Amino acid sequence: MRNSRIFEVFEQRKGKRTSLYTQNLVPGKKVYGEDLVTMEGVEYREWNHNRSKLAAAILKGSPNIGMRKGDTVLYLGASSGTTPSHVSDIVGKKGFVFALDFAPRVVRQLVYLCEERENITPILGDANKPDTYADKVCLVDVVYMDIAQRNQEEIFLKNCKAFLKKEGYALLAVKARSIDVTKKPRQIFEKVRKVIEKELTIIDSRILDPFEKDHCMFICKKK
Amino acid sequence: MTGQAKYRFTNIISTFIFDADFNLIDKGEDIKGKYKEAVKPEGRALYNILKYFNKPEYLKQFYKANIKITKRAIKESTGKDNLIIQAVNSVEDLKVIANKLAKRLREWYELYNPEFSRSIADHARFAELITLKSRIELLKKTGISESASMGADLEQKDIDVILLLAEEIKAIYKTKVNLEKYINTAMTESCPNITALAGSIIGAKLLEHAGSFKKLMLMPASTVQLLGAEKALFRHLKTGARCPKYGIILQHPLVAKAKDKAKAARMLADKISLAAKIDYFKGDFIGDKMRKELGAKIR
Repeated sequence: MRNSRIFEVFEQRKGKRTSLYTQNLVPGKKVYGEDLVTMEGVEYREWNHNRSKLAAAILKGSPNIGMRKGDTVLYLGASSGTTPSHVSDIVGKKGFVFALDFAPRVVRQLVYLCEERENITPILGDANKPDTYADKVCLVDVVYMDIAQRNQEEIFLKNCKAFLKKEGYALLAVKARSIDVTKKPRQIFEKVRKVIEKELTIIDSRILDPFEKDHCMFICKKK
Repeated sequence: MTGQAKYRFTNIISTFIFDADFNLIDKGEDIKGKYKEAVKPEGRALYNILKYFNKPEYLKQFYKANIKITKRAIKESTGKDNLIIQAVNSVEDLKVIANKLAKRLREWYELYNPEFSRSIADHARFAELITLKSRIELLKKTGISESASMGADLEQKDIDVILLLAEEIKAIYKTKVNLEKYINTAMTESCPNITALAGSIIGAKLLEHAGSFKKLMLMPASTVQLLGAEKALFRHLKTGARCPKYGIILQHPLVAKAKDKAKAARMLADKISLAAKIDYFKGDFIGDKMRKELGAKIR
């Protein structure tokens, strides 16, 4: 087990591929059936890159994901908590994650996760309407968004404007297929890039093939 | 040194009063009346106030409050439409399971009495009859004598296990009927117009595809028309293949029997979309009238 380029993310060769790991905040507990590895008394959770776009982006070579120990993260589109659990590992006990999702069905799953981990809290809300949950969050260091909506870049900018601190990082996973199925993914990514460039500085963008088809991760910084 | 109260901000933790430099002056649940001059923060002020709350002690409070609020929100989010959707999904699942088990039952039972199994097509009726009557009685119906039958003479204990499976299948069919009854009453109760227009099962299936009652209500008629034909629709958009003309509503007798199915589907979808809006806002019952009009128009 050795450190990867990313803070608090570890890597290890597993067969032909490199696998990513994060240090388990709640030793002994699995979140989604992932492997647990103990080395020198420290327990790590394997980060499945086929299920998490953030892990895929790291494996594709993102130099920086903007999250560090102690950061506060607003996670939009948390779903049942696969990736948020790793984000919670990364920010550690001193950090905090606001995990928001729209569907009651998956938030129910998320609540169980939050009760196990003291640094992550669930919010049932619509990311398209930041005003409705402004009383449930605080200003954050990082915004991460992974929602499959038509106007995802618009929602992303709205949230960054309202809740992201100055010079904070913002990550956006774009799903080309949910913006327009008729256009080529690359065209859509270019369009999205142009829109978010107006308000944020884009540090890096990674197309997530072959882990996620037609997805792209944008890593930005607030001006 | 704190100045005059300028901003009042309420969040899930409490109500807070800040001065112009964003220093905290006061907090508590019942201080709203005390600082009448304080205003709701907006823009930059809101940014600075949100920044104030990024502190470990507040994060802990956010943690507790949010879990509590979210739990309650989840509890309140369950409506009649969720129940109907689950019921209609169960009916679909039961259909698949019953079919699969019935096929197995026939395969098994045919070793003992193939001629009778061949003579009756309906699975539910078949399972019912073999548990009620003996082989001789059943064979009489088909007009074949026991000695001419191809069925093996099995011991009673071998027959009994077959009948055990038959009982199970009977129960599944019974559950299905009960669920359909439930869907019918629930649909009539919560969306009378849709039910009158489309029938309870088709209405429930539309609900299921839309995801929730609210989503169905917000859908335009053209979307309602194609609910259930998503695969064909996206194939059309992606590759330019011919576009679908109807989804679930093809199951509706008016559309299925119509000569111009596309036209009938359009008209029906239009009315269903209207009915959904009436039902959502608890409007008058005009489903019968709409159905009659449609019946006269569609031929």
